[in-house]
Amino acid sequence: MMFKKKMVMSLIAVLAILSVATMTQAAPPAGFDDNEIRIGQWGPQTGPAAPWGSVARGSKLLFDVVNEEGGINGRKIKYFIRDDMYNPAQTVAVVKELVERQGMFAFVGGVGAACGMAVKDYLAANKIPWVGPSAADQDFVNPLNPYLFAVYPLYRDEANILTKYIVDKLKMKKIGILYQNDAYGKDGLEGAKERLATYKMGLVAEIPVEPTEKDLASQILRLKNSGAEAVLMYVNPTAAVIALKTSANVGFKPQWVSANTLSDYPLMFKITGGLFEGVITGAFGEIPDSKNPLMVKYRDAAKRLNPQERWGTFYYAGILFADPIVEALKKAGRNLSADAVMKALNSIKDYQTIGPKITWTEKQHQGTDSVMIQKCGPNASYIQLQGWTSNDLATWKK
Amino acid sequence: MVEGLAIGACYGLFATAVVIIYKTSEVVNFAQGEMAMFSAFVAFHILSVYEWPFWAAFVITMIFSILLGILIEYLFLRPAKHPSILGLIVITLGVEMLLMGLAGWKWGAEQKYFSLPLNPSVTYEPVKGMIVTNWAIAVFAVTAFIMLFLYVFFKYSKLGIAMRATQQNKHAAKIMGIRTERVFSFAWGFSSLIGAVAGMFFASRATLDPAFMMEPFMRAFAAAYWGGLMSIPGVIIGGGLMGLIENFFGYYWPHWKPIVAFIVIILVLCVRPSGLFAKHFVKKV
Amino acid sequence: MDHFKCENLSISFGGLKAVNNVSFRVEKNSIFSIIGPNGSGKTTIFNMISGIYKPDQGRILCESQDLVGFTPDRIARRGIARTFQNIELFSNATVMDNLLLGRHIHMQTGIFTGACLWGRRSKAAREEILNREIVERIIDFLDLQSVRDQYVANLPYGKRKLVELGRALALEPNILLLDEPSAGMNTEEKQDLNIWIKDIQIDFKVTILLIEHDMNMIMGISDRIYAMSQGEKIVEGTPREVQSHPEVIRAYLGEEHPC
Repeated sequence: MMFKKKMVMSLIAVLAILSVATMTQAAPPAGFDDNEIRIGQWGPQTGPAAPWGSVARGSKLLFDVVNEEGGINGRKIKYFIRDDMYNPAQTVAVVKELVERQGMFAFVGGVGAACGMAVKDYLAANKIPWVGPSAADQDFVNPLNPYLFAVYPLYRDEANILTKYIVDKLKMKKIGILYQNDAYGKDGLEGAKERLATYKMGLVAEIPVEPTEKDLASQILRLKNSGAEAVLMYVNPTAAVIALKTSANVGFKPQWVSANTLSDYPLMFKITGGLFEGVITGAFGEIPDSKNPLMVKYRDAAKRLNPQERWGTFYYAGILFADPIVEALKKAGRNLSADAVMKALNSIKDYQTIGPKITWTEKQHQGTDSVMIQKCGPNASYIQLQGWTSNDLATWKK
Repeated sequence: MVEGLAIGACYGLFATAVVIIYKTSEVVNFAQGEMAMFSAFVAFHILSVYEWPFWAAFVITMIFSILLGILIEYLFLRPAKHPSILGLIVITLGVEMLLMGLAGWKWGAEQKYFSLPLNPSVTYEPVKGMIVTNWAIAVFAVTAFIMLFLYVFFKYSKLGIAMRATQQNKHAAKIMGIRTERVFSFAWGFSSLIGAVAGMFFASRATLDPAFMMEPFMRAFAAAYWGGLMSIPGVIIGGGLMGLIENFFGYYWPHWKPIVAFIVIILVLCVRPSGLFAKHFVKKV
Repeated sequence: MDHFKCENLSISFGGLKAVNNVSFRVEKNSIFSIIGPNGSGKTTIFNMISGIYKPDQGRILCESQDLVGFTPDRIARRGIARTFQNIELFSNATVMDNLLLGRHIHMQTGIFTGACLWGRRSKAAREEILNREIVERIIDFLDLQSVRDQYVANLPYGKRKLVELGRALALEPNILLLDEPSAGMNTEEKQDLNIWIKDIQIDFKVTILLIEHDMNMIMGISDRIYAMSQGEKIVEGTPREVQSHPEVIRAYLGEEHPC
């Protein structure tokens, strides 16, 4: 099976290289003219990660609203979505196509750490700003990548904040973790350990999970026997479903606390058959029915402009990931240039829309260390437990 | 541990599906997982879109899965001209991708909720610390039933005997008046049916999405290999062993769990190349 | 109406004419032998008759029904059984099982009723008993009692040839194609075989098509002989006629024994 996957991948890679090789080596076309600014995003519209494809469509809503209001300094935003099927080789192909054929001024969002890693250096080499990757990866911001501006809170910070919440607010001492055995899960593990160390505590169980594993019976039993009162989950939705179902089977009922990756409650509630109720998660955005005036505005716009789309966390994440580029374009003024926008991006300070406060400087492009804490209530409703909380232990700030 | 054994039985059950096709044609059907996935999606569709009762959906899905198996064999494998075994295996790989694409197109890649009408909160604890779930009981019951049926079927029924004959010597089977085409149709249909049952068990534990059977397929294939790819009881024992070993490692050394099955496979390959329980007769030349 | 007849059979493999314009008629209940050097197309004729190859042209008529285009299993059900030069048995099964498989076409029970052997008086049980009786008769006839429950893979070559013959008989064929039945047998076994073939002709009322290299055997039991070389006919006739044909003597008898 693996070898097959590899074969397909390498085939796609070869095709991508061929298609690129046939292109002329001339400098890519400019990303804007007097009438429009071209912005792109890749995202899985089909394939296994398609549920996250709504991020790219959310960004579209923002640009539609901006264009409806007259654009930015007389220019409209022309927005391109490309389906990369969550396959890095494909991401490279679609990004090159956009840059070299259409001419891109900037990229926003973009689901998947691996997909982003595949094009990060290419974008930097072409001096194209990339704002708000829809993935948290230390490697995006450390060392500094001058063209990459991260909005997404780091998993390590989030785990730190969640662990503090468990200890301080829930008064639970025995904490276990179920983490995906990759950068995502390990960041979560680090964060939790870091926080617990300040209390002179440790985790009662650290259980790694492979992303594709379909049977977690023994791992759950191990957690149960460790006596964990709260269990952190840094896993993918499928593993979370298996964990919750298996726990229900063996009568294990801890307080589940999860990364923001599972903050799409309606989806999680549905695929767990209701077991997701009561799970606490981090969140990178306001709750869906928030009274925040901007949330009201976008919610109404979505009903009007894209009525068939579900108003879910990942959809409006597309808005908050892309917001800063709009702000920077406004600041840059009518006399648009890449340098002006870069300067504007680098001077964004405490900028907040429907996500956390964002601050970028010339030396630091991780925009935030804050998450919200929310809880899944009955019928997949959102209950806000704690507003924007920053991580006082965030190592990257020092 | 019971849970581990139940998972193992589930792998074993699924491996049986692999073995039935292998037994008749020596082809490893890589589309097996995706055939089961597709059938499980059909069950899901009937349950959630038409909202029919579970048992109706189950029966229709069973019929569908049989037809799917027969159709795949008829459309893709039969027309192959002078097929080599490798060629046929590659065809099954193609079928696998086709089914995955079709399912993604029809039902989307989003995970779906799928459950069997088994109350998860009802568990039994016959011995302290040994928890038996409804799910496990269902798996054991179904596996035992299918095993018994297969045993009687292969031993006594005309078609079962024809299947064994076809596997041993397709040429001679034809000369004996055995309609080997019909045997293949039946093997695929039946294998697809068993796969669909196992697929539903897996889906009810996890989620339903187009890729959800890939991992179980690999493990089932491993179990099948342990069992020697030929012997059905061997495969069930292989599956059970795998479930136990994996759960043992999952409990004590969770880091090792995902790979231990494959390490054991390599060991088995080195020590007993034709599987733990194989009575593999090499055709004398 | 002719019992069995081949008309203008031809087949070529990649430009090589393996069999060219072969025609012959076989009387009911006779022994018809085909002789010729290795590679002269004898087995190819058998393969065409049993449906493994489809002739490029010509007809194969059995009781006036053209068999060309039939699949091997259909031909078997039409009452034509055969053995192979290189033995095609179910080697991972006992002698008994192999012979019972020969009864396959005579089993009436369906897929699932066959699995229900409960009750001595059920149709399936009665059928099973009949099948076993027939198979036991064949085992007695071919003197296979001593090996009836052994795995075929463990048997010596000569015995396996007999099992294959027995299995063909279990089909209760009208026509039996025997492809070098005596190959690999010792003199004693050959003598037994000689008698059995003659018995099969008489007791089982079977028409036999025979490919053989053993000239003593051929001349002893054949009613008619068809001699061929390089896919074409040399001569057809009674053993005496064929024996004296100069080309047969030169192409066949005059040389070293080709085995």
